[in-house]
Amino acid sequence: MTGTDQSSFLGRISIRRNQVNAMEGYHEQEIEDLELFQKQLSDRFAELLSAPDDAPTEAFLSISWIRKLLDVFLCCETECKAILLMERDAAQISKPPLDRLIPELLERVVKAMDICNAVTNGVELVRHCQKLAEIAVSALEQKPLGEGQARRAKKALVSLMSAMHVDDKESSVQKTAERSWSFGRRSGNKDRHHGHYRSLSWQVAKHWSASKQIHAMTMNLAAPRGPEASCLPAPVYILSLIIVFVMWVLIAAIPCQERSGLTTHLPINKHVNWTHSLAGIHDKIGEEWKKKEKKGMAGLLYEMQKMEKLGQSLIEFTDSYQFPGEKEKLDEVAAQVAELAEICRRMDEGLVPLQMLIREAFHRLVRNRTEFLDVLEQGAPVV
Amino acid sequence: MELPENLNKDSNGYESAEKIILRWDSTASEDARERMIFETDRQEADLYLQAVDEIQRSLSNVSISTSSNAGKNANAVDDQSKVNTTIQIAMARLEDEFRNILITHSSALETDSLFDPSSSSISTPSHHELEEDDTLSNDDSSHHDLLQLQLQHCESSDSSTYRSTSSIREVDLMPSEAVCDLQAIAMRMISSGYLRECIQVYGSVRKSAIDSSFRKLGIEKLSIGDVQRLEWEALESKIRRWIRAAKVCVRILFASEKKLCEQIFECVGTDIDDACFMETVKGPAIQLFNFAEAISISRRSPEKLFKILDLHDALMDLLPDIEAVFDSKSSDSVRVQAAEILSRLAEAARGILSEFESAVLREPSRVPVPGGTIHPLTRYVMNYISLISDYKQTLIELIISKPSTGSRYSGDQTTPDMEFAELEGKTPLALHLIWIIVVLQFNLDGKSKHYRDASLAHLFIMNNVHYIVQKVKGSPELREMIGDDYLRKLTGKFRQAATSYQRATWVSVLYCLRDEGLHVSGSFSSGVSKSALRERFKTFNAMFEEVHRTQATWLIPDTQLREELRISISEKLIPAYRSFLGRFRSHIESGRHPENYIKYSVEDLETAVLDFFEGYPVSQHLRKRSQ
Repeated sequence: MTGTDQSSFLGRISIRRNQVNAMEGYHEQEIEDLELFQKQLSDRFAELLSAPDDAPTEAFLSISWIRKLLDVFLCCETECKAILLMERDAAQISKPPLDRLIPELLERVVKAMDICNAVTNGVELVRHCQKLAEIAVSALEQKPLGEGQARRAKKALVSLMSAMHVDDKESSVQKTAERSWSFGRRSGNKDRHHGHYRSLSWQVAKHWSASKQIHAMTMNLAAPRGPEASCLPAPVYILSLIIVFVMWVLIAAIPCQERSGLTTHLPINKHVNWTHSLAGIHDKIGEEWKKKEKKGMAGLLYEMQKMEKLGQSLIEFTDSYQFPGEKEKLDEVAAQVAELAEICRRMDEGLVPLQMLIREAFHRLVRNRTEFLDVLEQGAPVV
Repeated sequence: MELPENLNKDSNGYESAEKIILRWDSTASEDARERMIFETDRQEADLYLQAVDEIQRSLSNVSISTSSNAGKNANAVDDQSKVNTTIQIAMARLEDEFRNILITHSSALETDSLFDPSSSSISTPSHHELEEDDTLSNDDSSHHDLLQLQLQHCESSDSSTYRSTSSIREVDLMPSEAVCDLQAIAMRMISSGYLRECIQVYGSVRKSAIDSSFRKLGIEKLSIGDVQRLEWEALESKIRRWIRAAKVCVRILFASEKKLCEQIFECVGTDIDDACFMETVKGPAIQLFNFAEAISISRRSPEKLFKILDLHDALMDLLPDIEAVFDSKSSDSVRVQAAEILSRLAEAARGILSEFESAVLREPSRVPVPGGTIHPLTRYVMNYISLISDYKQTLIELIISKPSTGSRYSGDQTTPDMEFAELEGKTPLALHLIWIIVVLQFNLDGKSKHYRDASLAHLFIMNNVHYIVQKVKGSPELREMIGDDYLRKLTGKFRQAATSYQRATWVSVLYCLRDEGLHVSGSFSSGVSKSALRERFKTFNAMFEEVHRTQATWLIPDTQLREELRISISEKLIPAYRSFLGRFRSHIESGRHPENYIKYSVEDLETAVLDFFEGYPVSQHLRKRSQ
């Protein structure tokens, strides 16, 4: 029976692995290892699911929460790849049903790479919002608060709201800045700021659609059944599902091109043990998405949602502000401004590491694909 | 309204400044919205800027007096608010003006000014045209897995249509007057604490200018999925275009943007111009590199090698300039990405080379090439490695490990082995090339076994190895890498094959012309068995006819080799026949129907030999000797 040593999970697999034919199913030890791995996954997702909805740090779908999710992805990728590739010869990976499952996995990997790039680009929009919010914060932090500053803040906040509600489709239509600035069209703030955002074009291909990518990735994604559930198809499924799930979360959280119609029903088989919490997270996010989708939004990222709420409240305040203002109101606003400042600070700290982590995920996906392709090439039957 | 003491002497100045500011408040008047100050006239613009300066002075004065009165002077606080408002109006106005000036002067880079048809080419390796392969029309589809690849993508290097994009060259993106105005406005905005707005506006307008330039340069937004789906040929032209465009982008476009930022924000410190620059350029830069990245991770197959090397070389060449242009901390990710792509391209090149080696080894076609001629695989492989030797400069740096070969002692029948001891002092690239030739021969040896006729098998090997030798000799770089030692080995192999062929075919034919067995035993005089002799002639004729008929359809493409082999055959055949005829014809001619047995004259045979290895059938009837 397995020992109680504390060494890494990965270490244990490599010590005890034996050469086994995929078709003949796993060695007993490997089945146990797989179950242990699934248990660990289940635990990590449970932890993510239990994150508080509203908290200064580590809230559900906050920047740091997403970083944790990406960590889970990275670990999972390492484990699954190890299980599939270590000490197996090419022939095993090329036999049915892996000869179909692995190319399908690699297709998903390519789409995931594109999603990583799109989301990285989307983080730039978030950063843009952060900068606008910072203008508002620095204006509203002035004491005493002059009307000029209030107007300045309002201008920035209106731009901010505009950026957050930019319709996906609209921004993919690239109207150049020139057009929105022709003489005689300047009929007040709104137009001006709207024009401002049209120049924020997505850096992705015109016809590329995040929601379509996810939809395509869910094709044929089904948990292995029966005897297959305890041999090589299992880690393939685990990795596939986690890739699809993580990409789906990223798209829901962070604005990127063409998310309308994003599915809220990923094919998660709830009867499979370890997916329970993952399904819970999925349901929770799906609900939120359905609620907000109609109004148009910049993503479910916790910090963005908070920013939106605070922004709207502050706009109302600045709209009607007259110097010197009432103390009570000013105190209330000061608290909100402080909250907004905190959000900005967390974005400032967290967005770059987030982008780096997404980039790391991208690298792993690339390497994953290269390694599998190499193995498949070797195992290709000679006619 | 009353102003604190120390502002009294400026009260008129302040008032008139305030008036100017308010006059241009675009939220207040139609006229203010319609016109732009900085387009109206110089004087207006200067007045406005002075007004702003005046208000700013007042603001700092008022703050001083407010704080010194410890907030007790209600008027002062009131006034501060007013000044504040005025500033905000001014800043909003300046922001619009700033944006307007930028937009007026932000168009796509004039690429026409960059064109120079007579320019010198960039320092990319020049590759010669690949020879056309007309025998590829021999359609056997099983040959074509490896061979779809028309290696015709090596054209002459992109003799640049862009004038000297070989180094950084900044151009003026806007007239200097505009730059001055922008500078003046930026200064005021920043000193009033409106830096963020300034950066936002700057970034958004310049970024869309860059987008237009990108479109003009033909830079597309392709996803990784798109790139994987496209045909390689289509990608090749995109890669060429990308290389040209990337040089312009890094060396001219981005460099010029950087200079523009430096100019506009000259007076306010480098952090700010860095921030503006990155705001403008980071997104487009990443978009640019994403294409190269997508190429670097595409599936590996042999035909991609050379374009990947082109891309690698171009990026390698650009790297120092990328590092120069993106030298701040905030542009780390751009530099890092470029370096990552470069290393992936190198990896891809290495991977493709080893893919190629496996593919040559495993190339599975079994249908023998008719006539024993040069196999398309041989042509393809030799053309490929000639091309590799053209890219020697790059590949020598990239290929750093030896090929993985079979072991002499492994007993593995499916892989040849190669002894490296004999190849001391050769670069890894050279070892790979030799290995490829070894593997090719191994494969060809296997293919030769599918010929039912052993002679043809030998001819096949002779043809193909000879071709290999000719190709190596024809390329100085290749020859230098392969080395004369190995070349000698190859030469020996095809000569050996020629000899084996001769033995296989001619030994039995010439056996008919031997002396033994014709003399009646015990007699020294002309006791020749007439029946045996007639048998001999008949057999010889039949065999020769068969060999002639068959081997006329065989092909030795190389003229010289064909001649040599025919001469060699003649040298053995003709004297033997002549002497046989000389000794024994009288015996036949003294019998009945001599023409049935002595069908051919020596000249007939000489002529017949000329039919050999021409590659097409001849009539069955040889010219009989005329009597």
